[in-house]
Amino acid sequence: MYKIPEENYPIIEDWVDRESRVLDLGCGDGSLLSSLVAKKGVDGFGVEISHDMILQCVQKGICVYQADIDRDLSEWADGSFDYVILNATLQVITRPYQVIREMLRVGGCAIISISNFGYVRNRIRVLSQGRVSSRIRLAQSWHDTPVLRFVSLREFRSSLEEMGIEVMDARYFFPLNVVARTPWPGYNLLAKEGIFKLRRS
Amino acid sequence: MNAPLVETKTLGIERPFRFESGRTLKRIDIAYETYGELNGKRDNAILIEHALSGDAHAAFYHEGDQKPGWWDSMIGPGKAFDTDRYFVICSNVLGGCRGTTGPASLDPATKRPYGLTFPPVSIRDMVEAQRVLLKHLGVERLKTVAGGSMGGMQALQLFCDYPSRSDSFICIASAMKHSAQQIAFNEVGRRAIMADPRWNDGNYDDDVSPEGGLSVARMIGHITYISERMMQEKFGRQRKGIGTKTVFRPSFEVEHYLDYQGIAFVKRFDANSYLYITDAADNFDLMASISSKGRFRGQNRERGMNIGDMRAKKGLVISFSSDWLYPSSQSREIVRLFTAMNVQVSYTEIETEHGHDAFLTDCGKPSQIIRGFLASLG
Repeated sequence: MYKIPEENYPIIEDWVDRESRVLDLGCGDGSLLSSLVAKKGVDGFGVEISHDMILQCVQKGICVYQADIDRDLSEWADGSFDYVILNATLQVITRPYQVIREMLRVGGCAIISISNFGYVRNRIRVLSQGRVSSRIRLAQSWHDTPVLRFVSLREFRSSLEEMGIEVMDARYFFPLNVVARTPWPGYNLLAKEGIFKLRRS
Repeated sequence: MNAPLVETKTLGIERPFRFESGRTLKRIDIAYETYGELNGKRDNAILIEHALSGDAHAAFYHEGDQKPGWWDSMIGPGKAFDTDRYFVICSNVLGGCRGTTGPASLDPATKRPYGLTFPPVSIRDMVEAQRVLLKHLGVERLKTVAGGSMGGMQALQLFCDYPSRSDSFICIASAMKHSAQQIAFNEVGRRAIMADPRWNDGNYDDDVSPEGGLSVARMIGHITYISERMMQEKFGRQRKGIGTKTVFRPSFEVEHYLDYQGIAFVKRFDANSYLYITDAADNFDLMASISSKGRFRGQNRERGMNIGDMRAKKGLVISFSSDWLYPSSQSREIVRLFTAMNVQVSYTEIETEHGHDAFLTDCGKPSQIIRGFLASLG
């Protein structure tokens, strides 16, 4: 399995209020939730589909719920959580719009991070080799990738606008550890990743 | 290594036991087994709850037996419920017929089996009997209470009735209340027993018990315990003893299997117990029982204490993908309830072909999860 980038952790920890209720969709081995529980005293819940990941969460004492994010979010009541996190997971989702709307239904605030398909290196890889990089694919070959969606930061931002979702805060990650809070000119070409704190507007 | 031995013990309670219905028995027996040792701090006890046809013999071997207890794959040194670390307790349910007082026990007043004069039994009554046993064993607080199917119901009931008595619960392939389909299957089983003329309104002697009806009830049960696919793979349309087919004699493998299960069951189970216990499971409704005030027996204060604040409590809910008798949707319902009550609940659906029986026959993945869960409790 692929590894969830930990560089987002400090930002998420900063955005999440102390002792709030947090739902992490696609929580993997539960490391983000562990860190949120330890540092911010949150009530953390994870959603995962893989048995092995669930086992690791349970061993860490992290509350985890086996479910398919695409199907099963409807089980939670409106406003069950303060924050719903989708960290480096949007690209594997079949119905992203529905999931994003559900996130903002069950949670007051959504935190979504994405890898920028428009990033210059990805463009070069496609142009020069005619294939998607394994970083984007999260797998070595085309046939075993979980990734269904290739989205650029610009496209994602216009989708948010289209859905009437307000960006409360954001971070754009550029090479050389440069982080911006606003979409600098050329961000869709130069930023590797972005993370957004969202609410219904 | 020698197979570890165990004996079923009996605790006689020589004072009145009051049922939820308000009726009372002058005394009851509770059959139980324990595995491992209670530690000095008395904080390593785990209560195991058995399902409809189970008994106190959950693990290890009885002297001279070839087969171990019903959950031996889960309980023992180094297993999920590690008897090197935990003091594991299992008792036969009230209303049962495997050592604990039930309808087949002799009524001291008449010197005859209670039969249908036995008070109706509820899941809560079963739990209350277990509480007396725990007190006798010096166990104030459980690390966890765990069970599958009807055992899961008891686990939930105990956890909700006495939140201060258990750090957590483990509920496998169970439900907060039976669906119409589950009640329907149980009712067909009960009718099979009651339609047997030997049942005689519950008045029968051991040597002329309604074996025919009880075995049919068990056969129906076994159809619901495994998945359609597994039944097909196991038996298909294979026949036993080709060439000897007689009209309406079992010839298909599946018929022989059900026949065998039915006969094996009547040797160890009492028909009236079957009626009482299935009735307890059908009438179980966790939400209704925890929201109503327990006004009898003067335990209102402890029962339901701090039910709104269970933040430090943990739960583990497990279902099986091919279990159509207790489908995953019922387990998810349990998770939603306890999550709303602020219990830290984890849920997993195990991929298996074994159907409902998986909690007894496919313990590999559940073992891993349970071991991890218990480790996280500290």
